[in-house]
Amino acid sequence: MAIDRIHKTLAGVLCVVCLTSCVQAVPPDLLVALEVIDQDLIALRAPEAAPEEYRQFVRQWVFLKARVQLDDDLIRWPWESSDLENELRRLYILGEGTVSQLHERQASQHRTAQAKVVRLEEQLHTIVTKVESIDGRILLGEKVIQTDLLVKQARSFFEQKDFQRAMQAAEKADRALKAQASLLSQELGRYADESRITYWQNLAKQTIDWSRIHRSTAIVVSKADRELTLYKSGRKVLSYPVRLGFNGMLEKQFQGDGATPEGRYRVMDKRGPGQTQFYRALTLNYPNAEDRRRFDFAKRSGRIGSAKGIGGQIEIHGADNELLAQTLGCIMLDNPNMVVLYEGVSVGTPVTIVGALTRQNAVALTLAELAQRRDEI
Amino acid sequence: MLRKASLVSFALTLVMIAGCAEPPTQQIQEAEKALKDAQENGAATYSADEYAKLEGTLAALRKEVADQDEKFTLFRDYGKAQQLSASAKADSERVKAASVQKKEEAKAAALQAQQVAEEAVKATQDLVAKAPVGKDRAAVEAIKNDVEGLKSLLKQVQASIDKEDYPAAQTQAKAIHDMSQGVSTEIQTALAKVGKGKPAKKK
Repeated sequence: MAIDRIHKTLAGVLCVVCLTSCVQAVPPDLLVALEVIDQDLIALRAPEAAPEEYRQFVRQWVFLKARVQLDDDLIRWPWESSDLENELRRLYILGEGTVSQLHERQASQHRTAQAKVVRLEEQLHTIVTKVESIDGRILLGEKVIQTDLLVKQARSFFEQKDFQRAMQAAEKADRALKAQASLLSQELGRYADESRITYWQNLAKQTIDWSRIHRSTAIVVSKADRELTLYKSGRKVLSYPVRLGFNGMLEKQFQGDGATPEGRYRVMDKRGPGQTQFYRALTLNYPNAEDRRRFDFAKRSGRIGSAKGIGGQIEIHGADNELLAQTLGCIMLDNPNMVVLYEGVSVGTPVTIVGALTRQNAVALTLAELAQRRDEI
Repeated sequence: MLRKASLVSFALTLVMIAGCAEPPTQQIQEAEKALKDAQENGAATYSADEYAKLEGTLAALRKEVADQDEKFTLFRDYGKAQQLSASAKADSERVKAASVQKKEEAKAAALQAQQVAEEAVKATQDLVAKAPVGKDRAAVEAIKNDVEGLKSLLKQVQASIDKEDYPAAQTQAKAIHDMSQGVSTEIQTALAKVGKGKPAKKK
């Protein structure tokens, strides 16, 4: 009887031990930890920023979670290993690694994109300033504003922490900046062309020689340096800064192009107060025979539309409005300088307008700098 | 004897019933179709995390069916697969609806930004129209160039909207709006400098 009681007690104890030793198939803490990793990945924008890594993690995670739910009625002995738990632990390690990698990658992308966007903004600012300094803004047409848009887009995506798109926009902006620099080189390359500069130097020299031989006055204008020089008997007597057409660095081709003509001209008329709206003006004989020949040839060859006119009324004049930075093609001086010049010349005075007089002219230097920056981009 | 025969008959009936357990093929197909619908409605873009989870659920569903298929006929149980397919389908439909809504919101935001940008460009164009036509037009020639540029940039916004790339459309429109305002300020400054327009001259 006593033995029977002992057996029953032992059996009871064994049952209690067995029942209390049974554990769930997967520790709940592990599931919570994986849920946290999933949330971390979402917070790191992994679904968008690292879709492959996120998909790899989350597919496995959802798959295993579903297995846990499907097997929720299973229990196991503490000493019994669980394949499901092992897989979840492996996934936890993978997830932790992915979170850590994404942290590092995002920090790196942030640094790279920030550096790129800031550098790009600086480049754009410098190039815009340089281009404006040589009156090249119109020449570049819509390219300036298109590049500006790309730079702003890059900044906008960067601020939204979309570093990938920020870099894409920045790459496009880089290419647009290079295209700008190339177009400028193409359009204004003659300012860096030695043979062209030699030709201009010869034109100026002939005008100065004429002044010396005839003991008379002559004017030479260098467009690149935006400088007008008055010679008397071959000697330089004064130099003044000038403002040119809104497309002044180009060679004049037709009416309304905003370019300032290049060539040998003469003062045809002097207009004093009351005779001009520009304070005082010296009218030039543009278009001369050479201009007409060039214009006709360009028209015949189709480079200029048939409806275009050659233009005229090119003057050296004072400023009706001191705030105006550019003209429609004329050469503009400040009024005090215009008075001196006006008094110093007469009808018939030669006026030679050239692109540049030195190889180190402002346009050539700017083009060289832009080319260097283009290579750096 | 009769009792024995009844028992055998009962066991056979049980085997027949159990042997009839079939995978929930139609429900699985419905769940897959719902996920595809969600994907086609931009779930991978607008609800990327939930979409990835649904893909995981479908994978778990396939595994569960495969596990049951491997079991001896008598022990197959597709009840959990049915549950999973039902929840995958319901979740796919929910994610699809959420994606459609998010996409519509993104589209609405892009369209609004586009409208604001268009109005800003129009206002800038109107200002240019007031610019002088005479010799003072030199002051605004470069700016006119920019306004033409802004007009062509608006086409890029429309192209992004057509491609359903709403984030790009929004950033473009915002930039155009900002640039238009900058150009407008430039025009106003230029107009203030030149005052009233004067008759045009040949140049």
